[in-house]
Amino acid sequence: MAKQLISLQVNGDTYEVAVEPHWTLLETVRDELRLTGSKEGCGTGDCGACTMMVGGRLITSCLMLAPEAEGSAVLTIEGLSRDGDLHPIQQAFIDSGGVQCGFCTPGMIMAAKALLDRNPSPTLAQVREGLEGNLCRCTGYTKIYEAVLAAAQRTS
Amino acid sequence: MEQETVTRQGYRTVGKPVPRIDGVGKVTGRTLYTDDMVLPRMLHAKVLGSLHAHARISSIDATAARNHPGVEAVVTAAELPPHKKDPSNRRQVIFAEGEVLFCGQPVAAVLAGDPHVAEEALALISVEYEELPAVLDPLAAMKEDSPLVRSPLGEVDRSEERGHVTVNVEQEEAKGKASNTSGQISFTRGDVEAGFGEADRVVEGSWRSAMVHQSYIELHSTIADYDVAGELSVWTSTQGPFQIRDALCQALDLPQTKVRVTPMEVGGGFGGKIYLTELMVAALAMIVRRPVKYIMSRKEDLQAATPSPQVVVQLKAGMKGDGTLTAIQARLIYDCGAFPGAPMLPGCLLLGGYYRCANLGIQGYEVMTNKVSVGALRAPGTYNATFAIESAIEMLAAELGLDPLEARLKNVVEEGDPLPSGQPYPRIGARQCLEAIGDSAIWKERSESRKRPHTGVGLALGGWLGGLQPSTATVQLNGDGTISVIVGAADITGTNTSFAQIAAEELNVPLSMVNAATGDTKTAPYAGISAGSKTTFIVGRAVKAAAEQAREQILAIAANPLEAAPEELEMADGVVRVKGNEEKSLTFARIGTMSTAFAARYAPVMGTGTVAASKQAPGFTVQTAEVEVDPETGIVTVLRYAIAQDVGFAINPLSVAGQMQGGASQGLGVALSEEMQYDEKGRLLNPNLLDYRLPTTQDLPPIEAIIVEVPSEDGPYGARIVGEPSIVAGPAAVANAVADAIGTRVHEVPITPERVLRALGKW
Repeated sequence: MAKQLISLQVNGDTYEVAVEPHWTLLETVRDELRLTGSKEGCGTGDCGACTMMVGGRLITSCLMLAPEAEGSAVLTIEGLSRDGDLHPIQQAFIDSGGVQCGFCTPGMIMAAKALLDRNPSPTLAQVREGLEGNLCRCTGYTKIYEAVLAAAQRTS
Repeated sequence: MEQETVTRQGYRTVGKPVPRIDGVGKVTGRTLYTDDMVLPRMLHAKVLGSLHAHARISSIDATAARNHPGVEAVVTAAELPPHKKDPSNRRQVIFAEGEVLFCGQPVAAVLAGDPHVAEEALALISVEYEELPAVLDPLAAMKEDSPLVRSPLGEVDRSEERGHVTVNVEQEEAKGKASNTSGQISFTRGDVEAGFGEADRVVEGSWRSAMVHQSYIELHSTIADYDVAGELSVWTSTQGPFQIRDALCQALDLPQTKVRVTPMEVGGGFGGKIYLTELMVAALAMIVRRPVKYIMSRKEDLQAATPSPQVVVQLKAGMKGDGTLTAIQARLIYDCGAFPGAPMLPGCLLLGGYYRCANLGIQGYEVMTNKVSVGALRAPGTYNATFAIESAIEMLAAELGLDPLEARLKNVVEEGDPLPSGQPYPRIGARQCLEAIGDSAIWKERSESRKRPHTGVGLALGGWLGGLQPSTATVQLNGDGTISVIVGAADITGTNTSFAQIAAEELNVPLSMVNAATGDTKTAPYAGISAGSKTTFIVGRAVKAAAEQAREQILAIAANPLEAAPEELEMADGVVRVKGNEEKSLTFARIGTMSTAFAARYAPVMGTGTVAASKQAPGFTVQTAEVEVDPETGIVTVLRYAIAQDVGFAINPLSVAGQMQGGASQGLGVALSEEMQYDEKGRLLNPNLLDYRLPTTQDLPPIEAIIVEVPSEDGPYGARIVGEPSIVAGPAAVANAVADAIGTRVHEVPITPERVLRALGKW
């Protein structure tokens, strides 16, 4: 299949990348740009481990084709702590014990960021609603709720 | 340097909640998992799985796949390198040969530089099958006239099971006439019939728990490379690097010095990631002499990994009016799938091991069916058995008008009471867990809860005995005065953080001066598998001993320049001082330099700890649920949930609470939503995470973790096993809460809306 050259803006950097039209944004970012923080846990949009923000919207990048992301700003977990300082959500996940195996963590943090971007002081019920697209098998979510609520307090 | 203060029982670092030392890598996405790694000239493997649950393979034609542009190799059983085969051991049947035994069983693999090309080529492999009768239900499979699930087996390899739980009981293998029952075990005590005669109430029932999947979010992932010197390297997501090394060496006839297994970060294991695809990937790498990566798809992982068994428990129990349990009789039928290896021993032991009971008759059966073979899931085999006994106890208490908590307290086991095997319990905290839940808000407020419509509260007891396996660890002083702990145990739960805490405690330094890391099988000291809840319990002891030895070595070096005997010295915050003389001191950094620099006079500080643990430290849990049942839809909502667990001593209460909450959530998944559903041909109907329902944030309220500490005899600082007990009580606790809410009992988990409506007579 013929590759096509597309331009992706990821975490503020512009990349010219040759992709096959069926490549997903997730595999392009992981395999071509070698930003491997976003994970594949299912490939069918059910687990949320590949969650990124594209044009300010939360997406499961395993279901988006790479060419569809052209012209939009893509934010991955690697874009959250660019200057060496952890984002308050990242710090809260560590402090609250919201990280165990770490595989869902990048996607979970992106979902938390999208939630806090639109609602800086969520209730517990709103946190549960905001993270419903992201599966975690280790924590039972309790410490993730605590992390997101703590991050909301720190940022507001 | 961080400020630390003395916390509990005079300890400075252990017993204090600390964030994981590997947290930053994980929240920034920098931690490398197997699939994040790319090796030069690496090929991707894709696997063709069987379309049938039971069939004879008449022929395989891979010509078109081999000719597909970009394909480097197509491998079937015929092309595999020489290796030891064992038809009873799933891991040693790389590709099906002659007969397929479950849907999704690997038949062939395609290797290509581009994973999409490998995937395309799978469709070009033509396999002709001759279908054979598939046996899917364990009760049907046990019948005399059932078709056989597979050609009869000889000896059965049960080595992996023993890593999870250590019991001094051998299974009886089925002998004589070929049958689908591959193993049996029985425990008897007293006279069951006499026991039922003494009882004022006898209840009887059958309880069934579905096959469920560990559903780690990271799929099974392995890379292997075989070089011209005959050395095999494997990078894999595993809980047991040394177990894989040993198994690969045995299967491929390699010395253990020639195999390097690097345990990569594990994106969730829960018992399901010990050893599965590594031999296949190693064999493929040996064929092509290039690195090979294999990442299971979610569909493959659900169809063909090693889920937790379906279990049917037929149980009868009797109780006197005063609450004394008089007899338990049970048949536990474990559906092991197409290969032996169901965890029925711990289930049988705990079903009869929660309560003092003079009369027991427990029989366990391991039955093969044409489904994927099973493995361990957190306290394997035990939540299933607990669902039955803890439902029955509740029924007896209700019929006799007894408080369910009091009925349990009357009979619960304590130190010295025998397991069904006769082995006495060491010190345990089951009673303390019952008392802790008795003090919880959910339990105390239950009469208020019940005033709300269709709302109920239930509780259940659970436990796990734990595994035993020798382990070792080293603690070294670096040239700059920092401390390195090296272990061979894969860190799946934050154990390296706890090991750093232990070394910091013993050397009286702040945690920031210590790091702990897991090495590979060529460089790390030996450790058992990170399963059976034994890692902190056993490897932690080795770390403690190694740190104590390092401490002695540091004092011995310091004694000379400080002109004092070692016993006149003390250490704190990385400084060795002469007691009572502030002037005379030496820093760890100085001692580190004195023992590592060019022409240094002193040998480097390296403490070694080796442990062969012989005594278990069982962990008990009691959990309580408040649920609401919608009588129209049958949907069960968990409103509140609490878990009390005896952990002996919580070295890191943050990670201990995380283990308790995580395990409890898995118990809730078993209780309410998770079920691998098969059609009549043995095909998995829900091989994805939309239809296989893991608990989401919308399903789970915050879970209250109540840490109970009854110190173990042998664990570090009194710590006991932690990881596994937390899953055990959930299904029973929820079932009891549902019964409390709707006045009728559901005997099958998951308690789906359909099963609730059936119980209510509305379906």
